[in-house]
Amino acid sequence: MTSQAAVEQTAPILLIEDEPSVIAFLKAALERKGYSVVNASSGAEGLKHLAEGRYSGVISDIRMPGAVNGAEVHAWIQKNRPELGSKIILISGDTANSETQALLARSGTPCIEKPFRVHQLMSIVEKTFGKP
Amino acid sequence: MELAVDAAQSRQLPEFLERFAGRAARMLNAAWGGVAVFRGRETDLYAAGEEEKAISSTLRSWILSSARENRVATGVRRLPPTDEAAQKTSQAALSAVFVPISASDGERLGILCLLTRRKRLDAKEKKLLHALASHAALSLENLRRFSQLEKSKRQWVEDIDAISDYIVVHDRAWKILRTNRSLASHLGVPPVALVGEAMSGLRQIAETGSDLPCPFCRDTQRPREEYVAASAERIFLVSTSRAPGVVEDDTRTIHVLKDITDRREAERRYRELFDSIQEGLFFATPDGRFLDVNDAMVRMLGYASREEMLRADVSPHLYPAPAARERFLQALAERGVLRNYEETLRRKDGALLHTLQNITAVRDAQGRIAQIRGLMLDVTEQKSFQSQLQRERDFNQKILNTTQSMILVLDTAGLISYANRRCYEAGYREDELIGHRLVDWVEPSHRKDFEAALETTANGQQVENLELQVRRSDGSMGHFSISLSPMRDEQSAVNNVVVVMTDITDAVLLQAKLSHSERMATIGRLVSGVAHEVNNPLAAILGFTDLLLENPEVPLSAREDLKIILQETQRTKDIVQDLLSFARQRPVQREPVQVNAVLRQTIKLRSYDFASHGVEVSEEFDEMLAPALGDAQQLQQVFLNILNNAYDAVQEAGRRGRITIRTERGGNSVQVMVTDNGTGIADPQHIFDPFYTTKQPGKGTGLGLSICYGIVRAHGGEIQCWNNADSGGSTFVVRIPIAAELPALAAKEAGR
Repeated sequence: MTSQAAVEQTAPILLIEDEPSVIAFLKAALERKGYSVVNASSGAEGLKHLAEGRYSGVISDIRMPGAVNGAEVHAWIQKNRPELGSKIILISGDTANSETQALLARSGTPCIEKPFRVHQLMSIVEKTFGKP
Repeated sequence: MELAVDAAQSRQLPEFLERFAGRAARMLNAAWGGVAVFRGRETDLYAAGEEEKAISSTLRSWILSSARENRVATGVRRLPPTDEAAQKTSQAALSAVFVPISASDGERLGILCLLTRRKRLDAKEKKLLHALASHAALSLENLRRFSQLEKSKRQWVEDIDAISDYIVVHDRAWKILRTNRSLASHLGVPPVALVGEAMSGLRQIAETGSDLPCPFCRDTQRPREEYVAASAERIFLVSTSRAPGVVEDDTRTIHVLKDITDRREAERRYRELFDSIQEGLFFATPDGRFLDVNDAMVRMLGYASREEMLRADVSPHLYPAPAARERFLQALAERGVLRNYEETLRRKDGALLHTLQNITAVRDAQGRIAQIRGLMLDVTEQKSFQSQLQRERDFNQKILNTTQSMILVLDTAGLISYANRRCYEAGYREDELIGHRLVDWVEPSHRKDFEAALETTANGQQVENLELQVRRSDGSMGHFSISLSPMRDEQSAVNNVVVVMTDITDAVLLQAKLSHSERMATIGRLVSGVAHEVNNPLAAILGFTDLLLENPEVPLSAREDLKIILQETQRTKDIVQDLLSFARQRPVQREPVQVNAVLRQTIKLRSYDFASHGVEVSEEFDEMLAPALGDAQQLQQVFLNILNNAYDAVQEAGRRGRITIRTERGGNSVQVMVTDNGTGIADPQHIFDPFYTTKQPGKGTGLGLSICYGIVRAHGGEIQCWNNADSGGSTFVVRIPIAAELPALAAKEAGR
């Protein structure tokens, strides 16, 4: 059971992002700080991972190609994984989109704007997911 | 009184006078007797038998001249002594006895002269001579009357015979009493040959168609008759009079036959013309009754027959407006003749008939109109065609007058011959257009284009939407769209050019503004997309540079290079941020903003720089300025940008800088005007385009004014700039709509 709990504690962060260079950087930065990371390259793939596995938090880009974007991932989690509802960090290329702004204002979900410094990222991650 | 009877019976004057002279001579036992009778100025001398010749011509002349003496009394005279013949003959011892013969009214008719041997007359003889003279006078008078009667009777017959009309007189027994020569010669016989013949024999001349034996009698009870009798060839007007005869019960009937064949023919022709002519002809009384009308007139006015028109008093129906008839009568009374008089009449069926009339008034002795004669044309068709034409003309005129385009007609030489009302409304004067060359109004550098277009049109081709600068009436230049169309004459040769000109200056400006804002919007979308795409790699670059710098294994030299990468990445990030804020157009907070206060705050931000670099800033604020509606922070960003721009411009100009900021109300906007004496703007048209900058590389992203533009547009306002004409430098103007003037809001905002 303890091993189970350890697994529980060390459950990976799900990273949903379509841009390979950004995935590489985020993965490097997070793993260097001791987090384990599983990545999905689209919203749909992210939801599949969420349905099948257990994660300690989710970092998702807002604007992604394909049927499911960051806002929809956020909505899915609120509905199907309420325990992860406060464990979401959104990444935005542009917060100008009024829909995005409305979402952020309503849920209080933290958002980080590209491009960002490593320390900016880590302070939000630690605040939201806790230290690894 | 043998003499008197003889005188009465005698018809022959000379014979009677000779016989009278002879008897008188015998009664007084005279040697010679003669009677001198006055016939006008002449005097005739009558003597009995051979005795007349028994006197000498000298004696004869003496007797005649003595007879002419004014006063000749009855008495004895001596014969003139010089009469040789008398001396030679037995007459030598004779004396003359003269007895005047005077008519009952005292007029001297002649003289009785006797040659006798007596020297004097006794009273008995004188009495006898007077008696003889008065018998002679009576007889002479009677004779004269008889001969006059004879003469006039002969004359009468001649006169009757001279009449070309046929005259015949018959008795109750239908026997001809007399005819004149015309009638007899018509039958080829002398007039006497017809006397006593039966009237029925004259049937061949003509007959009235009665059953009476006389072909010219109709009603024998009437004293006078008049009717027309005709034969196959001729037509006669027979005038008949019946007069009682000398013998009782013998009424004589006189027929006068007038050949009216020619007159009838003329009448018939006239009637035929009257009835067959296509123009309406009429005779009418001044009170409006028709006396005669022709068929065309009946047809024109829609009546069934001439009789119907003549029977009824149609004039009240004829004139739709009674005043029109009064006007007509008045005009006719004044002028007597009306030519081409236009009148609208009403047909029997009520339809209106437009007529053209030529009218003559026939006046009576007192000058009053007795009859109206006229000729009438139906011009309804022409009239309706004309009115349709007029309507079309009016319609076209209306189009020409109400169109917002200026329409001009030029001759092929380019001279203006017509300009529609719009031209004059636009301020051009007639005397500077008509007869002048249109090309003179075209801006000189565009004249070639216009001349070429005119030539093309003169050659029959249309030129459309030629855009030229044309001088307006106030002297300013306007941007005009001009179309030229050829106008052709009947031979289809181009004789005029129709020019349609529209001032599209405003439209062109609007188009320019539209295309500018469109361009800005496109740039906005493009920038937004680029920013997104750039942010991803930028995030990786920045992130990995951070990670490398955190890596203790990285050598110090590499670390310095990494810091430069970091720095440049940061700069790139700023550019992208600016791009995004231009493209983003954040929703504007709509609150009343005290623009003066915002400006003062903004100036304060830069006051240190201004003061330290000797830039003089003067505020010309309208302290009563109404609050604008907008976002104070965004507006501050705009003003700051403009101030920075001005500061940079005056710094660069290298003279004592001066920046004037003025606020005022302009229409429904708050207007902020920032004027500097700097270097001016190289290309004011493009200063709001993103990345347009005149600054040194690294001094600005070239997005500042683009962002200002975006903000001002989002406020529903305007931003413009231009180079100052006189003092150098440039001016920026920002206009922001005024907030609804609510005192409470204004007060609240005043505290900011």
